[in-house]
Amino acid sequence: MTLLRHILTKLGWYAAAFAAALALNFFLPRLLPGNPVDTLIGQALRGHASSETKQRVYETYIAEFGLDQNLWTQFLTYIGKTLQGDFGTSFSRYPADVASMVADALPWTIALQLPAVLLGWLIGNLVGAVAAYRRGGFDKSVYLSSLFLTAAPYYCLAVLLLYGLAVALPLFPTGGGWSFGLQPEWTGLFAVDAVSHWFLPFLSLLLVFIGGQAIGMRSMAVYEVDADYVRFAESFGLADRKIIGYIFRNGMLPQITGLALAIGTLVGGALLTEIVFSYPGIGTLLYEAILNKDYPVIQAVTLLVLIVVLVANFLVDVLYGLIDPRIRAAERGER
Amino acid sequence: MKALKTLPPRFHAAAAVFLLIGAAGVIGPLVAPAAPGDLLGPSFQPPGADFLLGTDHLGRSVGIQLVHGIRTSLYIGLLAGIAGTVLGVLIGTLAGYRGGLVDEILMGLTNIMITVPAIIVLLLLSISLDTRSVTVMGVCIGAVSWPWTARAVRSQIASLRQREHVDIARLSGSRTWRIIAVELLPYMMSYIVMAFVIQLYGAILAEAALSLLGLGPAGTASLGVMLHWAIAWESIRGGQWWVFLTPTVFITAITFSLLLVQSSLDTVFNPRLRDGKAAR
Amino acid sequence: MTLARLTGLTAHYAAGDAKFHALDDVGLDVQSGQILGVVGESGCGKSTMASVLSLNPGPSLRVTSGTLAIGGKDVDLTDPASHRPLRGGTVALLPQGALNALNPTRRVGAMAHDILAAGDKRIKRAESLRRTAARLEALELPPRVLRAYPHQLSGGMRQRVVTALATLRNPRLLVADEPSSALDVSSQRLLVDLLRRLVSDGLVEGIVFITHDVALLSELADRIAVMYAGRVVEEAPARDLVGSPRHPYSQALLASVLVPEPGTRGRRLAGIPGSPPDLRAPIAGCPFEPRCEHAMDKCAVERPPRLVTGPRDDSCWRSVDTEEAAHAR
Repeated sequence: MTLLRHILTKLGWYAAAFAAALALNFFLPRLLPGNPVDTLIGQALRGHASSETKQRVYETYIAEFGLDQNLWTQFLTYIGKTLQGDFGTSFSRYPADVASMVADALPWTIALQLPAVLLGWLIGNLVGAVAAYRRGGFDKSVYLSSLFLTAAPYYCLAVLLLYGLAVALPLFPTGGGWSFGLQPEWTGLFAVDAVSHWFLPFLSLLLVFIGGQAIGMRSMAVYEVDADYVRFAESFGLADRKIIGYIFRNGMLPQITGLALAIGTLVGGALLTEIVFSYPGIGTLLYEAILNKDYPVIQAVTLLVLIVVLVANFLVDVLYGLIDPRIRAAERGER
Repeated sequence: MKALKTLPPRFHAAAAVFLLIGAAGVIGPLVAPAAPGDLLGPSFQPPGADFLLGTDHLGRSVGIQLVHGIRTSLYIGLLAGIAGTVLGVLIGTLAGYRGGLVDEILMGLTNIMITVPAIIVLLLLSISLDTRSVTVMGVCIGAVSWPWTARAVRSQIASLRQREHVDIARLSGSRTWRIIAVELLPYMMSYIVMAFVIQLYGAILAEAALSLLGLGPAGTASLGVMLHWAIAWESIRGGQWWVFLTPTVFITAITFSLLLVQSSLDTVFNPRLRDGKAAR
Repeated sequence: MTLARLTGLTAHYAAGDAKFHALDDVGLDVQSGQILGVVGESGCGKSTMASVLSLNPGPSLRVTSGTLAIGGKDVDLTDPASHRPLRGGTVALLPQGALNALNPTRRVGAMAHDILAAGDKRIKRAESLRRTAARLEALELPPRVLRAYPHQLSGGMRQRVVTALATLRNPRLLVADEPSSALDVSSQRLLVDLLRRLVSDGLVEGIVFITHDVALLSELADRIAVMYAGRVVEEAPARDLVGSPRHPYSQALLASVLVPEPGTRGRRLAGIPGSPPDLRAPIAGCPFEPRCEHAMDKCAVERPPRLVTGPRDDSCWRSVDTEEAAHAR
């Protein structure tokens, strides 16, 4: 019952955040002075189109955005279309459908980020906990290298790995999702090729994520190891496994929030990593859209990222409520 | 301030690295023989006697761009860091001290801002702006980066507010702003300094990320802009290491040294913060 | 009947090259059905002794000699690895700061089961809960406490839950390490009544109660041992010790007014000039000699022997001299 309430409260917050995100996504680009379509199309189609195509494109967008109506109606139109999964038509690849462009890029990004997040969380927490127990030199080296990995921006590590392991030492392909001459298809040859292209960007994300989690877990576990409840449990001769279980659960809780908060930076950072490797995912799509001033694509990508981050945060929050009884109590106002 | 003497050696090393880079960003542009945009030689010339750090795809000097880039990045970082810290402390103090409805509203806003990734908001802001001057960028970054500080400051203030000396000040009729300035903020100085270091770190990263995406400040070099062009002109695959390695190394050195400074400060100041939490 | 006999306990903390001689040849007897109080200033080694006595010394403590005879067995205190099976069952600890002693993310019942399962691997969960509920009831706690998390309990309830858990496996000896120091006066009173009842109901055979609070002990304890600088300087029935302390330190301790309230821990004795000795170097003679108004030449060089007279003993050259004079007569 109380858990349900926890979830509903959280759901309310996320609905508010989502509304804010939608509004930002809609209104910010419309802060541009004048008719946005004029400005946008003027920039996007500069020079290379006959006046007839221009007129047709222009009319498409007027209709698409409902620009002949007032701003509020436009917003409702935008929300309606967004909810139907209709993100409009690309400027730079007119008349390509933005939704299908995003759908093509999305699997690559998921294949890159999901394993990196999960594996990085697991390895990072293990490394951090071990460092906290062993202390001494091992701990110090883990701490400093983790700090370095988190301090350096994602793309800097990516640049170093790409140059080191693909250019200076040509062990891996220098970028892209697959080799020139191949087509994405379900064959063994393509799979091997795709994995070899996938590995370096994956590795660079994994390393950064391990670093961040290890630092967090280390600082929590160091704190827990000396806690009174650990000494009390030890005084009963409880098995080490059991006591480590206690420490882990208590140290892990803040780590779960860490995961939630990391999702935002992770997704953003991972998009930049894709650019370095020209990986055919959302990040590269966004990068090219920005270069080409392809606003419908930019807005679709930003909205997608916002939704993913909100959903992930929500799931983590629910999980957190399931695991930590104190959170549920706090929701009820108990102390 | 006795605590500063107990700072670990890595603090001094990291602070020295940061200050050296900062000095290069301040002095470098003044003594540089040419502007960062000047086309001075052939493209992609390796480092040598003519150009200490070589030239880029247009034949501009990487070294001159570097010192200007550092200056731009630090300027944006400082501006955004100050703006973010001031906003965060103001909002956090207001929410924590006032409590009640003000607290609920401000913290609701803060929580929403924390959930929505700052880089996305910045991206939307950047594509919406006609002119992306360095100052505008700095203000924008500062305007989205305050929520973390606000949330942390609020919880600190909310617990400080319970203390006896604050009650005494309140009962003796001191004005609210006076209580905040005299009874509350002095206890938070170490905390605010650390928050500022983190804000600075985050702002430099945000500028680099935006610039890398091609949304950097117009008409000037920054570390992120340099990396953007290095990647756009395929210098990594072309093996022109001086072009991409220079901004990469300096971004990393700045951020790593800032994080080391922050973590050393944390180890010195945190025991007190922890006690504060335990007493809750 | 003697329940537990601690003999020859010597231990130091090692920090790098430096040693801190925390305990020096400590010996104590706990009688069946009695509460032995141990009193002394902060840093006199009483909490260190509690950790050794509860068979759970901290990682930086090195026990160099000592034996605990309990339940017909001699436990070698220098080998902490062999203690695990005795913890909780034979000897249990009632910790200092009981309020933080409970794992914040585990229900009381689950924790009780962990504790019982540490002694008997095959015990069923239902059986654990039944036994725990019975023990909680004995301490006037409702069975719903089993399903509660620590944060859902009041401070006084948590104190009683910790006591219930500590005595869950019916330990023969309960070592209470300043359990009252963080409590307000009325909670302190409840705890004292509770401990006395544990002994009279036979839930535990004996208690060692460690505190800095002489006033509290004079009400609670059957016997009192006074510790100073890692040694037991005097031990006697509570009434005798409070009424006629023999060792000069005991006299000074009783003369100085110790206010029985939280916050006095760590306070130096107001009435005794000087401060406790530096324990980084071993002390040849009597550790109280520099502060003692009756000090003689040999006090500084030779360790005073433990002099047993009837139900009490003390370690002071002056007592030895008095005794000899009495015999010579």
